[in-house]
Amino acid sequence: MPNLSAVPRTARARSRHDVLKAVLFLLPMFAFLLIFTYLPAGVSLVLGFFHYHLLGVNTTFGGLSDFKEALTYSVFWTALKNTLLYALYMIPATIILAVAIAVLIDQKSRYYAMIRTFVLLPYITPVIATSIGWLWMFNPQYGILNAVLQALHLPTSQWLLSPTMAMPSVALYTLWHGLGFNVVIVLSALANIPRQVVEAAAIDGASAWTRFRQITLPLLSPTLLFLVIVTTIATLQAFSQVYALSGGQGGPEYATTTLLLLIYQTGFQYFHFSYAASMAILLVLLILGLTLVQNWISKRWVFYQ
Amino acid sequence: MSTAPGSSRRLMLKGSRAVISLAIALAFLFPLYIAFITSMDTAAHVFVYPPHLTPDFNFHPYVRVWHMGRWMMYFRNTVFIAFTTIAIALATSVLAAYALSFFQFKGRNVVFMLVLLVLMVPSEALLIPNYVILHEMNLLNTLWAQILPFGGSVYGVFLLRQFFLSMPEAYWDAARIDGASHLRFLWSIALPQAKSVLFTIALYIFIGSWNSFQWPLIVTVSHNVQPLEVEVSRLMLAHSVDWRRLSAAGIMTTMPLVILFLFIQRHIIRGVSRGEGINE
Repeated sequence: MPNLSAVPRTARARSRHDVLKAVLFLLPMFAFLLIFTYLPAGVSLVLGFFHYHLLGVNTTFGGLSDFKEALTYSVFWTALKNTLLYALYMIPATIILAVAIAVLIDQKSRYYAMIRTFVLLPYITPVIATSIGWLWMFNPQYGILNAVLQALHLPTSQWLLSPTMAMPSVALYTLWHGLGFNVVIVLSALANIPRQVVEAAAIDGASAWTRFRQITLPLLSPTLLFLVIVTTIATLQAFSQVYALSGGQGGPEYATTTLLLLIYQTGFQYFHFSYAASMAILLVLLILGLTLVQNWISKRWVFYQ
Repeated sequence: MSTAPGSSRRLMLKGSRAVISLAIALAFLFPLYIAFITSMDTAAHVFVYPPHLTPDFNFHPYVRVWHMGRWMMYFRNTVFIAFTTIAIALATSVLAAYALSFFQFKGRNVVFMLVLLVLMVPSEALLIPNYVILHEMNLLNTLWAQILPFGGSVYGVFLLRQFFLSMPEAYWDAARIDGASHLRFLWSIALPQAKSVLFTIALYIFIGSWNSFQWPLIVTVSHNVQPLEVEVSRLMLAHSVDWRRLSAAGIMTTMPLVILFLFIQRHIIRGVSRGEGINE
């Protein structure tokens, strides 16, 4: 009976047969992951503890010496301070502006769909290429930003040339570039809020602000937590925009030297690999720590439906 | 009519919402517009104060900047890197996702967790070790150095697995009764249905690859393997006061993405709404 073979095999028989094929199907993916993720993750630990040189010099065990060196290097602390301060501007600014813009444009019409498109547009543009326009806008002498401030009789700024304003200027660029991503996420969260709840509150006489505070905001809180974590990670990894807006230097006076820029300079301009790797490990620990803290805090106030 | 005051108030609210929203949208477009104007300035019109807001439609800076570098080569490199990365990442993630949804074997979930584990490894931890690995593989300063590290897409596996698991098992049973092999079933039945998922993954890889800067900056030194963003950054450092030509270069490299975005923004917005960031 030839059609017996067409009868579905038992699950067990199928599983024995499938294992070999499954391995073959999984192999290409795991080859890439092994070489470019698992292996380097291990190597990064080794690099942090050993002195590695590209050109044939023997690798020697350095123990914690590179970590110690990093922790006593004043520029490392400056970079850490810059990075954390930058995160401190970026997180509240991102969340508040994203929620404000999303609530404003949360309307069903072609007009608002177009607005949403324009707000998201900068997010897909290349950072180096679009920072050119911003560099020109930031120009203290001929730039549009100072021209506007002057027209409004407000004090002008040196922007990227001022040690105190340089990092906020970078933050301004990054907000322009990335805010749309956050707005679209808040919009999709707003779309999931049950309309009846908000309408019932309105009928009960709750004002728009009360409805926002008591209903919308709590229902948005899981999304906002997600955005806080994503923004934290993105700001701690700031590189391209800092490189472009400071001419690759991280100046003036180290004012825009972020940790990742310092790691890049140490590793790939001065070729102190182990030193750079140990700073990278410290950065990873920082990101991990902050994410855990945020997760812990969130348990206290995030409202899950 | 007693409703008149209420409705006129509502109309005003509606109007001011529309106006403020438009102002915000224009604010987001403005930096691109400024670069556009500057790229077309006449020589006498750059360093003027206050800045002007209407373009001069002078294409000279574009011609000049075009002759300053081998743009076609950088363009070719950028496109080659993006498309090869897409091809490899799609192939590996389709196969892996298929195995994780259509094969029954012990430890299937453990394998999937191993893939997801990759998301826990921050990219900056891999910067230096991957450089060392490419050095040991003799691949530094090649186009492949900018492709291979992105050959396994966790995000791709995740989305495709989700899609395959949602396909009715009866499809596979029917195909097998007709004598189809797994590869045949994957190619002629599963993949055609997964088109939109494949497109989303490809799109994200494309944008991420086109905009990547740090990695190419680190692993390449020769101009003939570098992408557009690295060339633009080099121009920025070398000609920091030539605003017209710099802006022209910026507009030239941004435009392809802006045009792409305007055509397929629905896809991108759907992807972002699911919380999928673009890997930079």
